Amino acid sequence: MSAAKVKMREKKMRNQPSSVQYSASPRHVESSAKHTHTHTHAHQFRTLQMQCRSDYGHLKFRASALLPRSHPSSAGAFATARASEVRTMLKATTKTTGSCHVFGALPKHMRRRAMSHNTKRLPCRLRDVANRMASSKKKKEESKGKSRKARRQHGNLLLEFNRRQRKNKWLETHIWHAKRFHMVKKWGYCLGDRPTYKCYRSSYRAMSSHCLLQDLSYYCCIELQGEEEKLLASLSQLTSKEAGPTFAAALSLSGQRQGSVDVYRAGQYPMQPLGPVTFLWRPRAQGSTHRQLWIWAHPTIKPDLLPELQTVCQCCEAVLPPAAPAVIPTEGVSALEPEPKPEKTPESKQITGTKRKQTFKDASEPSEKKILGDGTRSPTTPVTWKSSSNGIVISDLTMEIVRYRLIGPQSHSVLVETMEAATDCDPSCLWWPEHCKNESKMNLHQQQADVFHLLKGVYSTGELPSGTVLGLTVDDPRLTLPTKKVKALPCVKQEKRRELMLRGAPAHCCQSSLWESSVRDNVTVNKISNKLLNHMRSELLVPGSRLSPTPLQGRVPILLVHQPGKQVGHEMTSWGAGWDLLLPKGWGMAFWVPLVYRGVRIGGLTMSLKHSQNKGAAHFPHDYPDCPAGARFQEEQEAQLLYEFKRYPPAKRNNYIKHGCLAPFCCPWQQLAEEWELILREGGEEREEDRLTQTSTKADAVMEVATPREDVTVTKPPSRVTVLRNKKSLRLLSGWCRPTTSKGQRARRSCGVLPLDRAAMALFLSAHGMSLVWVRLSLLSKGKPELHAMVCVPTAEDLMLCGGGPQEPPHRDHFKSPFRRQKKGSKKEGKESDPAPASEPNSTAPEGPKSSLALPMGLWPDPLPSVTAHCSRVMLGWVTQGDFSLSSGRGEALGLVSVAGLLNTLFNQPAERRGTLLLRNPASLHYRVAKVNLEV
Amino acid sequence: RYLLCEVNVEDHSRLLQLDDRAVAAAVRAAVARTHGDYGAALCSIRFSVKYLNAHTGIVFLRFPKRCYRLLWSALPFITCIETRGQKIPCFLNCLHVGGTIRTCQKFLIRYNTQQLHRMLPKCKNEEEKRQVQKAILNCTLTRGNKAESEDESESEEE
Repeated sequence: MSAAKVKMREKKMRNQPSSVQYSASPRHVESSAKHTHTHTHAHQFRTLQMQCRSDYGHLKFRASALLPRSHPSSAGAFATARASEVRTMLKATTKTTGSCHVFGALPKHMRRRAMSHNTKRLPCRLRDVANRMASSKKKKEESKGKSRKARRQHGNLLLEFNRRQRKNKWLETHIWHAKRFHMVKKWGYCLGDRPTYKCYRSSYRAMSSHCLLQDLSYYCCIELQGEEEKLLASLSQLTSKEAGPTFAAALSLSGQRQGSVDVYRAGQYPMQPLGPVTFLWRPRAQGSTHRQLWIWAHPTIKPDLLPELQTVCQCCEAVLPPAAPAVIPTEGVSALEPEPKPEKTPESKQITGTKRKQTFKDASEPSEKKILGDGTRSPTTPVTWKSSSNGIVISDLTMEIVRYRLIGPQSHSVLVETMEAATDCDPSCLWWPEHCKNESKMNLHQQQADVFHLLKGVYSTGELPSGTVLGLTVDDPRLTLPTKKVKALPCVKQEKRRELMLRGAPAHCCQSSLWESSVRDNVTVNKISNKLLNHMRSELLVPGSRLSPTPLQGRVPILLVHQPGKQVGHEMTSWGAGWDLLLPKGWGMAFWVPLVYRGVRIGGLTMSLKHSQNKGAAHFPHDYPDCPAGARFQEEQEAQLLYEFKRYPPAKRNNYIKHGCLAPFCCPWQQLAEEWELILREGGEEREEDRLTQTSTKADAVMEVATPREDVTVTKPPSRVTVLRNKKSLRLLSGWCRPTTSKGQRARRSCGVLPLDRAAMALFLSAHGMSLVWVRLSLLSKGKPELHAMVCVPTAEDLMLCGGGPQEPPHRDHFKSPFRRQKKGSKKEGKESDPAPASEPNSTAPEGPKSSLALPMGLWPDPLPSVTAHCSRVMLGWVTQGDFSLSSGRGEALGLVSVAGLLNTLFNQPAERRGTLLLRNPASLHYRVAKVNLEV
Repeated sequence: RYLLCEVNVEDHSRLLQLDDRAVAAAVRAAVARTHGDYGAALCSIRFSVKYLNAHTGIVFLRFPKRCYRLLWSALPFITCIETRGQKIPCFLNCLHVGGTIRTCQKFLIRYNTQQLHRMLPKCKNEEEKRQVQKAILNCTLTRGNKAESEDESESEEE
């Protein structure tokens, strides 16, 4: 018996009576020397040992008391013996058996597991014992600190919030979201990922028939100021005309339209993209070439974009905020424009507020200010950079401007209903009364208000020209807050709709005071608090009526920017169009709640992904594997997916090796592109020798390719894969993708696309051989594509096959039993090449069995074999987003495929079935037929 | 089954010589004598002497439930128990048959207290009477006793 068992037994038998007897054997004395009490008895016995285990003390006492004078017939001795026995028996029956848990006293059928931590589940008679035990067992309770009431007091709450904002930035709607959403910490912000309630379909319905609201304030705004030509000259290095309109596009430059552009590292055009940005020019002031430009970028682009902008504009001189001790003289800049200086003041003020709190713990000090804007930035971090040579000033306006996005055809009705153009008022020190004095400005305001009223008469937001900008000044929307949630409905009027629909807002109406940082600050500082507003309301004579003289502070400059919906493709055009609402900081919640009261749905990050997916547009970090941010995102995603995979018990994990899926969690784009280049090269060589049918050539090429692949990758310098963004090439490729029948043919004729022949293909490949192209795949029959589904080339037989799709033969998992493998190592090598199924060329024989031990089962070890030739169908690329599309009623996927592979496939397909590909989910063996769409 | 038996001897002091192995041997011998090899085999399965009090002569015997009647029937044939080279003439008187030790213990408590109460009027002198009274008082776990024992158990736990 092990020591533990002995101990357990001892504990269990602690209260049980042991035999009371006297033994004379000396062996016994030694063995139980500890527990025995030697006692000499002269009367009859030589030596008697009394053994006792537990009730040692009292037995000893009894024995010693009894034996010396015990007379066999003495009634008293007999009585004491009886009595002591009764006592031991009583102890044995009343005391619980050894286990320290109280419910050991209960019969087995009455024991419940939950009793061990909830004493109330025990029968009453055992409860207090259990309670005593539990309290003695429980560790010291951690001190709670303040009471709930103290914690919830406004000042303390604010301090707590400010402390929590130090690490991750909070949007202004954070508290609102945190009550309703699953929050995630991403990109340095706390963002709402998805609501806690079910809303997948209702959000989709909102996007397609009413309105969905999102808080996009986490997008970073970078402001550039300077002479127009100099700005354009600098920025032109970042973009190329080949990839679509640039910063200099005429409509955007006038300030009438918001533009969007893909930014590259300076002068690196086809290589090293940074990501997509949108930009907005401030309309020209009369007779001035000084311009202002806002570049809105995703927070993951910013760390790359900002240094790039600084180098391009030669703005390396950081203008320190005025709060810092050493102020760089800014006379040149201040003469030019006074913006950067006042722009700093509110922030420095708010930061000094925190400082003050930390240094002096003074009770009389008013409680800390609410953090507006960026709470994580230290006060000394420069946010403005200027150039001494060309006078360009770059400032980082992150978190300075609130941006809300309304998606859906009725978003204009929501806006119109929520906001009212500002009313006139008497002059005072606030900005709006000052504004009112200026006649021309008031004229402008009147015109803007007219345009805004025209919005009411529009059927759908999608009717407006995409990217329309409208500046406006509105009253505080809290004043017109309805008492109940009402759904904003359109009221269509015919009047001057046509004008607005064709041209958008007139050029001069795009001006807004939001561009002026001084006005922004004024508005932010002078905002009436909710408390004061409610107080004013409570003093109204008729409860619930509107505050009759609008408070002077309640005028807010805003910018409305139209967001285009689905621009590509034939079906569902302009789906998901909407408006972006730009507000000065601090006014976020004042606009958010009134918008919510107009019956909009609120979406989180997942919904913006679904929006772009339904729109058929690339979503930023997901679909840009060639950008640094996209690459980073892929790594994170891989780690996340692997973590989730490992959380399953091994028997419940998918064996991706058996499914023939090499990379279920990350997509080796680089390897894919390289392999396809190699395949085509080899194919080309062979073709020159004799023109065989393509499929067999390809398969042979793959066989040959796979083995020397390692050497190739080693010798070749790692050239980065890029995504094809050249509009002309894309248009060409898009034409080739369509089948020659029906609608496609008409389109092609009209476009005048070259026919797809060998020469054109070679030309195209010489330019973009190593690139990927972004395609939309719509399934022709059943199936729901998932993340990282494989896009494959159908064979000639697959194209003939109607209904369903082909099946992948199951693969064999060579890593399943590494020990057996190691034993049979040499034998298997020989066997492998011959009896391996046809689907599995010998190239897939694993090279590194040792590395597989570190990885979990069912995943390929790190040096992946040839990705293209791993399955029975040649692989083209992977899906980056896939789901059942509610808009088309079929599975739809967005993915990236190799240009070389796609062209080769298209070339080999019969003209009427051109553009048909196969799609297979990572955990499935079934191929689904899909149609490839490449829309420009 | 657990049998609660009482060992009755003429000379009370000889009781103190008993030990559990001797009792077990005596039972085995008696069973073998009355029921032969079959009985001896049955007796070797789950038979044991769970408890023996040499002062009072109380014995707990455990028999397999299947055949306890058969083994029980052999107990009256025990006339003496051989221990340490001496033969103690005695007989076993079965007081109680219980399913668990616990029931036997409970019965024993009742039985012993009953016995003490019976002894009380038969006392010959004052001293004896006082002793018996004291013993009776000791029989019950009074409140003080209880608290004491609980303290003990708690200190053991710690």
